[in-house]
Amino acid sequence: MNLHAVLTILVFSPLLGIVILAFMPKQAEKLIKVVGLLATVPALLIAIAAYLHFQWGKDLADFAVSTSWIQFRGMGGVPEPFFSVNYELGLSGFQLVLVVLTAVVATLSALAAAKFVKKEWKGYFMLFLLLEIGMLGVFTAENLILFFIFFEITLIPTFFLIGKWGYFEKEKAAYSFLIYNGLGSAVLLIVIMILFGKTGTTNIEMLTKIIADPSAPLSGDLKLGLLISLLIAFGVKLPIFPLHSWMLKVHVQAPPSVVMIHSGILLKIGAYGLIRFGMGIFPEQFKTLATLIAILGVVNLLYGAFLAFIQTDFKMVLAYSSISHMGIVLIGLAAMNEAGVQGAIFQVISHGLISALLFFLVGVLYERTDTSLIENLGGIAKGMPIAAGFLLAGAMASLGLPGMSGFVSEFMAFLGLFKELPWIAAVGTIGIIMTAAYLLRAVLGMTYGKAHREFTGVLDLRGVELIPVGVLMLLIVLIGVFPSVLSSPLQTTLETIMLGLGG
Amino acid sequence: MSSVPASAFLALALILFCIGLYGALTKRNTVIVLISIELMLNAVNINLVTFSKYGMAPSITGQVFALFAISVAAAEAAVGLAILISLYRTKKTVNIDEMDTMKN
Amino acid sequence: MMENAWLIPLFPLLSFLILLLFGKRLKEASAYVGILLTLASLVFSILVLFERFSEPTYITKFNWLTIGDLHLTAGFEVNQLNALMLFIVSLVSFLVHTYSKGYMNGDERFPVFYAYLGLFTFAMLGLVISPNLLQTYIFWELVGVGSFLLIGFYYYKEEAKAAAKKAFIMTRIGDVGLFIGMILLFWETKSFEYSAIFAAVDAGAISGTMITLTAILIFIGAVGKSGQFPLHTWLPDAMEGPTPVSALIHAATMVAAGVYLVAALFPLFAASKTALLTIAVIGAFTAIFAASIGLVQTDIKRVLAYSTVSQLGYMMLALGSAGYVAGVFHLMTHAFFKALLFLAAGSVIHAVHTQNIEEMGGLWKKLKFTGPLFLIGTLAISGVPLFSGFFSKDEILIAAWEGGHPILFLLALIAAFMTAFYMFRLFFMVFTGEARGDQKHVHESPNNMTYPMILLGVLAVIAGYVNTPWFGSFLGDWLVDGNPALGHGHIEGPIWIMIAATVVSLAGIYFAYMMYYKRSIARNTISGTGDTLHTILLNKYYVDEFYQLTVVAFTKGLSYFLRFIDVFLVEGLVKGVVGIVQGLGRTGSKMQTGQVQTYGAVAFIGLALLAVIFALTGGYLR
Repeated sequence: MNLHAVLTILVFSPLLGIVILAFMPKQAEKLIKVVGLLATVPALLIAIAAYLHFQWGKDLADFAVSTSWIQFRGMGGVPEPFFSVNYELGLSGFQLVLVVLTAVVATLSALAAAKFVKKEWKGYFMLFLLLEIGMLGVFTAENLILFFIFFEITLIPTFFLIGKWGYFEKEKAAYSFLIYNGLGSAVLLIVIMILFGKTGTTNIEMLTKIIADPSAPLSGDLKLGLLISLLIAFGVKLPIFPLHSWMLKVHVQAPPSVVMIHSGILLKIGAYGLIRFGMGIFPEQFKTLATLIAILGVVNLLYGAFLAFIQTDFKMVLAYSSISHMGIVLIGLAAMNEAGVQGAIFQVISHGLISALLFFLVGVLYERTDTSLIENLGGIAKGMPIAAGFLLAGAMASLGLPGMSGFVSEFMAFLGLFKELPWIAAVGTIGIIMTAAYLLRAVLGMTYGKAHREFTGVLDLRGVELIPVGVLMLLIVLIGVFPSVLSSPLQTTLETIMLGLGG
Repeated sequence: MSSVPASAFLALALILFCIGLYGALTKRNTVIVLISIELMLNAVNINLVTFSKYGMAPSITGQVFALFAISVAAAEAAVGLAILISLYRTKKTVNIDEMDTMKN
Repeated sequence: MMENAWLIPLFPLLSFLILLLFGKRLKEASAYVGILLTLASLVFSILVLFERFSEPTYITKFNWLTIGDLHLTAGFEVNQLNALMLFIVSLVSFLVHTYSKGYMNGDERFPVFYAYLGLFTFAMLGLVISPNLLQTYIFWELVGVGSFLLIGFYYYKEEAKAAAKKAFIMTRIGDVGLFIGMILLFWETKSFEYSAIFAAVDAGAISGTMITLTAILIFIGAVGKSGQFPLHTWLPDAMEGPTPVSALIHAATMVAAGVYLVAALFPLFAASKTALLTIAVIGAFTAIFAASIGLVQTDIKRVLAYSTVSQLGYMMLALGSAGYVAGVFHLMTHAFFKALLFLAAGSVIHAVHTQNIEEMGGLWKKLKFTGPLFLIGTLAISGVPLFSGFFSKDEILIAAWEGGHPILFLLALIAAFMTAFYMFRLFFMVFTGEARGDQKHVHESPNNMTYPMILLGVLAVIAGYVNTPWFGSFLGDWLVDGNPALGHGHIEGPIWIMIAATVVSLAGIYFAYMMYYKRSIARNTISGTGDTLHTILLNKYYVDEFYQLTVVAFTKGLSYFLRFIDVFLVEGLVKGVVGIVQGLGRTGSKMQTGQVQTYGAVAFIGLALLAVIFALTGGYLR
C-alpha cells in the first residue's frame, strides 16, 4: 500500500476546515463550532491509525515522503552544486507519539474552545486550525527549513489567539510571547543557515551523518557554538530558567483552550527540538554540556517549585509548575543514557496531557466562579465534587504519583541522572518534595476547607465537559500503568540517539 | 585631437561632479540645488561619452546613454521646477531648510 | 492457589472502580460491594496462607517497562512474610469495611468512603506482594494517597485538610529517601528484584559504604511511613480521619509498611552494622519518646496514635537488633490489638460524640461490649502475661538484650512501663468513675460494629500463641525457613527478661490504677515539681513548632527570595533590554531631521565608505 501521502494529508487536513470556515457567516455560532471541531478529527484519526500501524508491527518508514521543492545555485558564480531543499515529511517513533499527543490535545482543546470562547468564533477557529497545521508540521518535518517554516506558522496564530481572546492584559502577554519567541526563532534561523551554508543540506538525517563525520567542514568550537545557540533558541520555548518570564504571562492571560495547546504542545516543541536537533545532530558537544544542562534542569525544577509554592493565583502555580516540570526534561536529557532520555520524552508527553487537563479545569472553574485565585475558591469540593476530584487527580498525576504518567517519567529521568551525576540528582530530588508541597497547598486550598463564599448556581462538570477530562485522565493512567504503550515506539529513536552518543 | 588623454576628461567630470555635489548639499536656495544636480548629471554624461570613446570596448552605447540622460534630465528639470513653483506658492519660500515636512 | 494471589489486590480495586463510577446510585448498598469484595480478598488470602505453609515461595513476573537494554519487571511474590501480611491486611480491611457500615452510617459521602477504602486496600495488598523495590515503591506511594484521601475525608474541616496535607508531604520526604536508595541500589545491581539485590549483597558485589548508604536511605522511607522520629508528627494529626480509617491505616496496616519494608529487605540491612544500629536507636528512641507524649494527651485517638508510634518504634528496635521474627511477630499482634483498640475507641466516640477523655468516664456499664473489648486490647498492648502483646514484646526485649544494646533495652523497658501506664490511664478515665460529660444518649453500637471487634478481641488474646517460649516458636521457624539471612526463628533469652517485662507492665497498671481509679495518688505527682514537664509533653516537645520555625519558614523565605529574583532580576533584565532598544530607537528617530541635504550627505558618505571598502578588499568581505 502506498502511504506516502498520508503525512501530507495529516498535516494539512485542518486546512479543509479553514477553507470551509472562510465561507461561513460570522454569526453561525453553532455551525462554526461544529466545523471547527470536526476539522481536527481527521488528523486525530490518521494519527491513531498511524499508531496502530506501528503497533501491528509495520514499519513507520512507510510514511516517509520526499519530493524536490526549492533549488538554487550556489552564490558568487562559483560552480557549486545545486542547493536543494526537499519537501520531506517523516515519522519516527518519537515523532509519532508527539503527533498523537498533538492530535488528541488539539481536538480536546477545540472542544474546550467551543465551550469557553465567547466571541468571534470564526476567527478563533481559523487561527486555531492554522496553529494545528503548524504543530503537526513541526513534528513531522524531516528537514530544518520545513521545520522552521512550520515553527513560524505556530507563532503567528498563537500571537493572535492570545492577543484577541485572552484576559485583561492579553496584548501585553501576546507581545511578550512574540518578542521572546521571535528572538528564539531568529537564533534558530541563524543556526539553520550556518548549517545549510556549511554542509549544503538541511535534511536532518543527512546532517547527522555529515556532522558525525570527522572530516566535516565544521570545527568543534563552531559545533559547540551552534549547540549553545540551539539551547537558547529552544530554551526560550521550553522555557529554561532566565528565559521564562514570557511564558508566565501567557499562561495567565491566554484563554484556557489556548493554554491547553500552549502548555500541552507548544512548549514541547522546545524539548522536541533539543532532543532531535541538539542531541541528535551534536551528540559529542551535548556530552560536554551535560553537566551544565543537568544544573540548568535542577535549577528549573527547584526554581519553579519554590516559586509555585507562594503563588496566590492557581494559573501562576501551574505556570511555575510547568517550568519545574520542564526541568525534569532537562535532567533526563543531561543523563545522556537510555533511561534519562526516555524519561525526558515521557515527561514531554505526560506533562502535555496533565497540563492540558489542569488548564481545562482552570477554564471550567473560571467560567463558573470568575476567579482563579486560590483563596477566593476555597471549599469548592462541596459544590463541584467531580471537578474537585479531577483537580486532585490531576495534581496527583502532576506530582508524580505512581500509576499515573508523571511518575514514570520522573522516575526514569532521575534513574538516568543518578547513574551519571548522582550529586546533582540528589539535589534535584528536593523538587519531588516541593512539587507535592506546592500542588497540595494550591489544590487543597481551592477544593478542601470551608467555602469562603457561596457560589450560587455553580454547576459541576457535566455533559461534554466530561469528555476532555475523562479522555485525558484515561490516557494519563494508561501511560502510568502500561508505560509500554509509549515506550515501544520510542525504542528505535532511543537506539538512534544512543548510537550517536557512542554507546 | 587624440592628444587629449582620457584622464583629463575624467578629471573634468570629477571636478564638475564635486562642484555639483557641494552645491546640492550646502546651498539653501532650492533653485541652486536643482542646478547643482544638473551639474552632476552632466558630469556623468561626460563620463559616459569618455568611456564610449576610450573604454575597454568602445562603442556607440555610451553616447546613446548620454543622450538618454540629457533628455531625462530635461524632463526632470521640468517636473522639479514645477514642484518647486507649487511649493513656493504654498510655502512662500524657496529656502530648502524650511522644507522639512518629511520629518512629520 | 498461590498463582492466583494477584487477584487478591484486584478485588478491592474493583470495589474502588465500581464505587467511583456508580457510588452515587448505589448509595448505602456501596457498603455491600466493598464488604463482599474484601471478603473475597480475605478468603483468597487465607487459602494462600495455608498453601504457603506447605509449599515453597511462588514468584512470577512480566516485562513492565523497557528502557533500552534494561527491562523492568512487575509481578508478585508469595513468600512467608508476604503471605502473612496478605492475611493481616485483608482481615483487618474486611473487618473495618464491616465496622464502617455502622460507623459511617448516614454520612452523605458514604460511597466515596468505601471507594477510598477500596483504593487503600488495593494499594496495601499490592504493596505486600511486590517482588521488587520499584513495585514496592509504586504501591508505597499509592497507600500514601489512600491514607491522604481518607485523612482528608471530612474535607470541609480545616484541621482535616491540614492533616491530610501534612501526612502526604511528610511521608513524601521519607519516600524521597526510599526513591534515592532504590535507584542507587539499581545501578549497583542492575535490578530492582529483591532476589537479585540479596544475591549481590551475598556475593559482596556492593561495597560496604554503598550498602550502608542505601540501607539508611531506604530506612528513611520507612521512618516517614511508620511515623518514626523525626518524621512522626503527621501520624497523630492523621487522627482527623474517620476512626475506622485510623484503625485500618494508621494502626494496623499502612504505618506498619515501614516495618514491613525493613523486614522485606532485611538481608540488605543485616549486611550493614551501621544501618542496623541506626534502626535500633531510632526505634528505641521513638518508642520512649512517643510513649512519654502519650502520658498526658487527652484526646482518646491521639493517645492511641502516640502509642502506635511508640509500638512501631518497638518493631524497629527489634529489627535493628537483628530480631527479624520479633519485629514481624509484634507487627502482627499489634495489628490485631491496635485495630481492636481503635475500633473500640470509635465505638466510644460513636456513643458519646466526643474524643476528649476528660468528658467521658463511667462508660463500663453503658457499653457492655465495647468496655470489655477495650480492656482486652489494653491488656494486650500493656504486655500483661497470656495476652498476645506479652509474647511479642518479650521477644523484642530479648532481641534487644541479646543484640547487645543494654541501653536500648533499658529504654524499651521504660517505654513498656509508660505504655502500660497511659493505656490504663485511658481505660480508667473512659470507662470508670463518674460520667463527666453529657451522656444521655449513650448506647452500645450496632452489631456490625461489635462483631468485628469481638473477632479482633479473640485474635488479640490468642495471636500470641503462635510463637511462644512455652509451646514452640511455630511462626518464627516458618518465617525464617529456608532463609538463613533472616536469623533464627527463636532467640533464647534469660528468663529474668520475661519477669522484668511482666513486673514493669504490672507496675504501670498499678500506678494508673492508683492515680485514675483510686485517686490515692494525685494526678500531678510526676509533674508536681512544676508544670514545665507537663507543658512540654502536652505540646509534644514542640517538634511541630520547631519544624514550623525552621523548615517551613526556610522554604517560605527561600520562595520569597526567589520571587524577588524573578520579579526584579529576571524581569529587570528584560526591562533593561527593552529600555536599551527603546533608547536606541529614540536616538535614531531624533536623527530624522527632515532636511533633504543632511540625508543626501549621509547617503553620500555611506556610498563613499562602501567604495573605499570595495577598493581595499577587492569586492568581497571574506
